[in-house]
Amino acid sequence: MEYFVFLDYFDNVFTWYHLALLIGGTFAGIVLGALPGLSPTMSVALLIPFTFHMEPASGLILLGAMYTATVAGGAISAILVNVPGAPANIATAMDGHKLAKQGKAKEALHYCFMSSFVGGIFGVIILIFFTPPLAEWSLKFGTTELFWVAILGITIIATIDSNSVVKGLLSGLFGLILATVGDNPVLGVERFVVSDHLTGGVNIVVGLIGLFAMPQVLSLMEGYYKDKHDVLEATGSSTLLQSFRYVLSRIKALSIGSVVGSLIGIIPGAGGQIAGLVSYDQTKKVSKVQDNYGKGEPEGVVAAESANNSMVGPSLIPLLTLSIPGSPTAAVLLGGLLIHGIFPGHEIFVSENTKEVVWTFIDSLILAQVFMLIIGLFLSRHSGWIMKVPDNYMAVGIFVLAVFGTYSIGNSYSDVLIMVTLGTVMFFASKAGFSAVPVVLGIILGPIAENNFLLGKLIGGAKYQGDWWLYFVRDSLNITLIAICLLSIAWGVYSTTKSKNKS
Amino acid sequence: MKPQIKLSTIVVTLLTIGLLIISFDEVLNPNKWTENEDYLFPRFVACGIAFLTLLLFFDQTKNKKTLLKDLLPGLGLIIVYLVVMKTIGFYVTSLIMFFAVVMIYQKREESTDFWRASIYKLAISIVFTVVLYLLFTVLLNVYPPKGLFL
Repeated sequence: MEYFVFLDYFDNVFTWYHLALLIGGTFAGIVLGALPGLSPTMSVALLIPFTFHMEPASGLILLGAMYTATVAGGAISAILVNVPGAPANIATAMDGHKLAKQGKAKEALHYCFMSSFVGGIFGVIILIFFTPPLAEWSLKFGTTELFWVAILGITIIATIDSNSVVKGLLSGLFGLILATVGDNPVLGVERFVVSDHLTGGVNIVVGLIGLFAMPQVLSLMEGYYKDKHDVLEATGSSTLLQSFRYVLSRIKALSIGSVVGSLIGIIPGAGGQIAGLVSYDQTKKVSKVQDNYGKGEPEGVVAAESANNSMVGPSLIPLLTLSIPGSPTAAVLLGGLLIHGIFPGHEIFVSENTKEVVWTFIDSLILAQVFMLIIGLFLSRHSGWIMKVPDNYMAVGIFVLAVFGTYSIGNSYSDVLIMVTLGTVMFFASKAGFSAVPVVLGIILGPIAENNFLLGKLIGGAKYQGDWWLYFVRDSLNITLIAICLLSIAWGVYSTTKSKNKS
Repeated sequence: MKPQIKLSTIVVTLLTIGLLIISFDEVLNPNKWTENEDYLFPRFVACGIAFLTLLLFFDQTKNKKTLLKDLLPGLGLIIVYLVVMKTIGFYVTSLIMFFAVVMIYQKREESTDFWRASIYKLAISIVFTVVLYLLFTVLLNVYPPKGLFL
């Protein structure tokens, strides 16, 4: 059975080395996720250069474990400090922190890791069964379609991840320009090399670290003297069994969370934040205890956490098939795939080399959920100390790691300078409402867009006697993709004006 | 809608003008030694950016304030770090950087016993650097820039 091909690679995960990576990645992920302000996206970006020296499968296992764990770990600070560790945990904080204030922090943390586990497993199952047919379908994508897919990836993220459509799109286009900087081996020219440091261009991972880690460092420094929230201790008398029974009894919240999270995961660009909030809202609508929501209702925690973790698996579906990430962190993971020479598409499920890597990676995600549950439940008892790490230590720690990671990619000092400059510019740009995610997508998808654009122009020129652009707008798939691009822009404009009118 | 002039908009406009000049240079000054298509893709993107920059003048979203006073010491340290790292070496510079940041960024309530707190911070900086060295250089064989020292 082709659908059960994933079972063939399961034993690859069960080597001591891979198990150690999974445990280490999960542990570090939960701790990093729990630190307020350190997002999953940044944690994964910072880790990528260190996976360079590993086998592709091992590197991806570590990144996958980190991705899963940081999303769940973010709930710890959401519950104990009322500061979501990641945007994905915003909905968790609404009821989770209220529960903690009532002295039920331990209970809330149990619910959160248990429902994350259920959602996470559901999401990975969706990933396993939906990816191969979609990968098959992606074969229909030719040059022009791939060009539009790249543009679509940037458009969707630009309109979802930003408060202003204009700024989101501008960020994405600047990312595309950054991708063209430097020596281009295909065209044999140097472009936009205004300084010698730019000759090598902007490496994807250098861009990722710069755009995600540096702004974090600077904002930790900037906000250092602001008042901090008090950290509640994880107290309460709930036992694991009691919590387990409760979570199982909330089957409606669990199912809504898992299904909504998975659906949102598949939509390119929409990440855990939207998954958590939509699921929380939907569960509230059908709940019998609607009035308790927002006052410390455990069901709210279950709904939000099952959703944001079920988003993780499906967010990799468009990534592995069409190279459009399903969430911002998946965009970073795309960088991780590319540096290991894995180019998303149907090919990776066919070629013997990559097939093994990709299925081992996907299988490891199931085990990552199990470790996330065990380590999460263990850490939830002792999680108070994590939040007490002072911001000044975190800021300089991240900075040193970012420099180290960047340098290790190509032993290049220029890369370090590019990383710091890009990150500092991004920090100030984010103050003006620009977002890092579209820029990153521009850098990642830029080469795909440009190569397919030039190839399409060549074929189109021959086919339509000079009117090459006709080649890009004919064929139903092209038209559909263009329509989705336009629709996403229109939706972005509509939703931002709507939210502005509300406020 | 009234156009708004913000510093960020001016910076973006200048960047856009620069982009347009570089990408259209081959069109305006044709040269038989260069291929006219090299900048074709960036040219389309630059046009898109130029169009959006015009719209940016009508964008109503407000900018967040930057607390430059708290940020500048950190930014200054980062610049010094980058300049001296290559000559002195990564590990030694990082150790000094770590210590300098935690010393400069400290809250009033921390500094009751200055010497004790400083020794504690120095100890943590050393532990951080040593762990980094053992983990990456000894275990993973990743070598950072080496200058006069480590």
